Amino acid sequence: MLAYVVRRVIATVPVMAVVAFFVFSLLYIAPGDPAAVIAGDQATPADVERIRQSLGLDRPFLIRFGEWVWQILHGDLGTSIFTNLPVTTMMAQRFEPTLSLMLITLTFAVSVAVPVGVLAAWKAGTWIDRVIMGFAIFGFSVPVFVIAYLLAFVFALELEWLPVQGYTPLAEGIWPWFENLILPAVALGCVYMALIARITRAAMLEVLQQDYIRTARAKGIGQGGILFVHALKNASVPIVTVIGIGVALLIGGAVVTESVFAIPGLGRLTVDAILRRDYPLIQGVVLLFSFVYVLVNLLVDLSYTLLDPRIRY
Amino acid sequence: MDRRTLLKGFAAAGTLAATGRLSAPALAQGAAARTLRFVPQANLANFDPIWGTQYVVRNASAMVWDTLYGMDEKLEPQRQMAEGEEVSADGLTWTFRLRPGLKFHDGEPVLARDVAASLERWTARDQMGLLIRAIQQELTATDDRTVKWVLKKPFPKMLLALGKISTPIAFIMPERIAKTDPFKQISEYIGSGPMRFVKNDWVPGAKAAFERFPDYQPRSEPGSWLAGGKKMLVERIEWVVMPDPATAGAALQSGEIDWWENPISDLVPLLRKNRNVAVDIADPLGNIGSFRMNHLYPPFNDVRARRAVLLAMSQEDYMRAIVGDDDNLWKPLPGFFTPGTPLYTEEGGEILKGPRKLDAAKKLLAESGYAGQPVTCLVAQDQPITKAQGDVTADLLKRLGMNVDFAAIDWGTVGARRAVKTPPGQGGWQMFHTWHSGADCINPAVAIGVRANGDKAWFGWPEVPEVEAQVTAWYEAKTAGEEKAAIGRLNKAALDNVVYAPTGFFLGYQAWRKNVSGVVKGPLPFFWGVGKTA
Amino acid sequence: MTPAPPGIAVAPELPDLLPAVNLGRGAVGFLRRHPAVAIGGALLLFMLLIAVFAPYLGTVDPTALAPARRTRPPSAEHWFGTDMLGRDLYSRVIYGARVSLLVGFSVAAFASLVGLAIGLVAGFVRWADAVLMRVMDGLMSIPPILLAVALMALTRGSVGNVILAITIAEIPRVARLVRSVVLSLREQPYVDAAVAAGTRTPMIMLRHILPNTLAPMTVQATYICASAMIIEAILSFIGAGTPPITPSWGNIMAEGRALWQVKPFIVFFPAVFLSLTVLSVNLLGDGWRDALDPRMAKGL
Repeated sequence: MLAYVVRRVIATVPVMAVVAFFVFSLLYIAPGDPAAVIAGDQATPADVERIRQSLGLDRPFLIRFGEWVWQILHGDLGTSIFTNLPVTTMMAQRFEPTLSLMLITLTFAVSVAVPVGVLAAWKAGTWIDRVIMGFAIFGFSVPVFVIAYLLAFVFALELEWLPVQGYTPLAEGIWPWFENLILPAVALGCVYMALIARITRAAMLEVLQQDYIRTARAKGIGQGGILFVHALKNASVPIVTVIGIGVALLIGGAVVTESVFAIPGLGRLTVDAILRRDYPLIQGVVLLFSFVYVLVNLLVDLSYTLLDPRIRY
Repeated sequence: MDRRTLLKGFAAAGTLAATGRLSAPALAQGAAARTLRFVPQANLANFDPIWGTQYVVRNASAMVWDTLYGMDEKLEPQRQMAEGEEVSADGLTWTFRLRPGLKFHDGEPVLARDVAASLERWTARDQMGLLIRAIQQELTATDDRTVKWVLKKPFPKMLLALGKISTPIAFIMPERIAKTDPFKQISEYIGSGPMRFVKNDWVPGAKAAFERFPDYQPRSEPGSWLAGGKKMLVERIEWVVMPDPATAGAALQSGEIDWWENPISDLVPLLRKNRNVAVDIADPLGNIGSFRMNHLYPPFNDVRARRAVLLAMSQEDYMRAIVGDDDNLWKPLPGFFTPGTPLYTEEGGEILKGPRKLDAAKKLLAESGYAGQPVTCLVAQDQPITKAQGDVTADLLKRLGMNVDFAAIDWGTVGARRAVKTPPGQGGWQMFHTWHSGADCINPAVAIGVRANGDKAWFGWPEVPEVEAQVTAWYEAKTAGEEKAAIGRLNKAALDNVVYAPTGFFLGYQAWRKNVSGVVKGPLPFFWGVGKTA
Repeated sequence: MTPAPPGIAVAPELPDLLPAVNLGRGAVGFLRRHPAVAIGGALLLFMLLIAVFAPYLGTVDPTALAPARRTRPPSAEHWFGTDMLGRDLYSRVIYGARVSLLVGFSVAAFASLVGLAIGLVAGFVRWADAVLMRVMDGLMSIPPILLAVALMALTRGSVGNVILAITIAEIPRVARLVRSVVLSLREQPYVDAAVAAGTRTPMIMLRHILPNTLAPMTVQATYICASAMIIEAILSFIGAGTPPITPSWGNIMAEGRALWQVKPFIVFFPAVFLSLTVLSVNLLGDGWRDALDPRMAKGL
């Protein structure tokens, strides 16, 4: 098991290297000039050129890439072109809001979608199933920002139950923190819930047809016991896989959610950085995302051994 | 539910909005009243007002750094850190004396050598500063409170340069920080202004915080823009960046923020309906929209093609696209200088007045030899003002029978592309859109866009000797009458030759909660004199 | 276990992957058994017709400005109202169907084709597998929306570039699916047999593997089509999509977003059209999957 984990971690290196090189060369060929943005409207072309030089943007591609890799190997992600702050600091500032949003969304979505998916499978073919799956497919089809605006309008502006926007750090109290994240989490969770509910239903349907479930039924084990103890456990591998895949979906949706609810998270940081061509920052954030992706996938794989005793590493 | 209805009935609905929520965090009311939450026009992405010249950086910097002189609401430079100045009879030697008791946020006194170093860095980056630098003999601190600036030629507009509001402002920093290469960013944000920058609370893209500097010595005069006593009435100011105007509007309505610098005009009727929100014009000097044509390449290297565009364009269309239906917010602008300021003139502006002459324009365009070649039009999509103007221009050129190559790009790319001098089709361009703050169009020293000195001119590189002759005449003018006459001739020459196309003069709103007092109109948000009750 | 004679396609016995779709009882019967396909198909057909016949549906030039009559609510003259520049929203929404459908279908088609090619090669050529899959892993580890935003930052906004950006972001999904199907097929006896019989690799791919990957791939393609339309809207929403002159649903919503509280109709109509279109494609995809895999067909 440990050997497997070590092997997997080592296997992430080429993935990260591909990402790093891809992102770096992408940015290199990108038009757009951060120096011009910095210099502002009143600057002369000569000023822009001097700023470009001072940022080192005029040097050849391979040299810049080499320096960057060297820096990373020393644990340094560089300094943002625009803010002059270390990239690690900027990412650290933004980490808590995004992580909070993700975790709440994840908890919320899983705790709603899995039971609902089980219910749909159990009542397969009935109107309950149809309604649930109807909602699920609908959740797939409405863009996240439409849901976000609707929620903000109803629950924040009309009913005044929840704040319209913003983020309060956890350190300032659990309720203020949670209160600000309810609407964004629900908005962001819709697609994710739809995805999990569908896969749960499909996986459950498959399992419910197996012989051992029939045996369990014959042995007189209660319906709830069958569904949640026997069937769900056996259906859990695809469900966990989809939950893992969905994290990438969440990160993408977070970009929009964070901008609608003015949450100072990583998604907004990334889009701002891309639109402004803050190269070191873009590289840092993309590396972080791919690291998270790799990590989540590793966790998902490891969870298989817990869920399905037949799988061993 | 009934409780909510009941609550809504009370007059003071605003304060109750908070208690009506599921939670009522018992925040100390006093703390809330001492913190002002402000939504700026843009993200404070960097914090070096000499290195980066975005308005948002200047606006934040005006709290943290102080200046020798400050422009008041009459556009006159007044003494701020300076106690007095002296200019020799030949106009070559300027001596400035500092007020006593000035302190930086790190507790160190402000010394003359800090001033000299700061001015040194500023003159490397500022348009007026560069003019002074070119004729500078020496800039020295003769004692702790005296700075001497010796020039080779007189520079009558010295105080205007040191006190002007357009970026970069001549802010005074400690010498060790001011020694930073003017093309590199500073990383220590210590000034001698009325507010301290809280670096640890700075989350670029989201938040910036400022705390009152207790040792600040305000002048005794009442505050007036950058001049006078900058008395702070709140302890802490938090800038909250909100990329989505709808969110900012909602937050202001619900009382989550106190002051919004630039609400979009379409939301203003909604804000006005809220009894706890006040709305007013933000900056009486407003903004001037524009698009520039590339004078180096066809079709716009021919003045007839440029004039054809002016003949056909409707400033009303541009202005409505920018500000919406509110007619109080815009004016046609048959010129280049800010309406309501001393140098405003409409001389030579007939081409932009009256009904639009599409047919005459088409004829003129044909005479210029235009035959359907593509016209590359750069439009930044991430700036609402350029985006709206770009849409109108695309429609205008289409109606003129031009073949538009619409380059929808971001502001950063416009910044890079517009500096490219190669022909269109090889990376170059024929047209791009921008706008200038009215404060930056009050005279030709700051209105760089109207300069027409060919290669050295702003992007588009117009070359009109007559315009340049009048700029010199303005610099040398001794009286207001001479200044006005020079600017009148300049305006006419610039319009006749279409240095660039002004799309109109427009104003913006600002909005604040009514428990905030002391908000004034000005080219930037002035935080001194602004108070807040719980 | 009988070796398949080279050159003759053999229908493999693969109940999991290629159930026979019996259309013998006619399309009507098929649709009756799969109402989701019927509903989705009808909706999608409706949108397609709108897109094709946009100029004849009482529309005006969707890019014609009239700043003097901006943000007007729906009326007899402007059925869906006008936007911030006075453009007719009805015309923009109707023409917007063209953009969304074009983006959705093109991305689905291109991503499937390229993903198929990559997946086939990776599944069959061992040395290429390592390289290609590392690249795919790398691409996949960047969230698709962020990858598309980054790609859009490279190029100027145009419909073609939006299609390209989303396609690149979606390719790894198809490639991985195809590869996994290929890997499982390779273990099948008849493929072994074909290899043993000396059939060249390209031939095996063409004759045996390709037909069997098509079914799961087409299902995947419908989902990609749906997700591409959503991503297109999101790209426009965050300001990295098609040029705003282009009447796309995403653009209309992006421009109306600031006014959702005062002029909700600007966002409402494109949102409804987009949601319905995506819904129709999803329904089709679900129905198609159920039809291919009857075990899933219970219920909906």
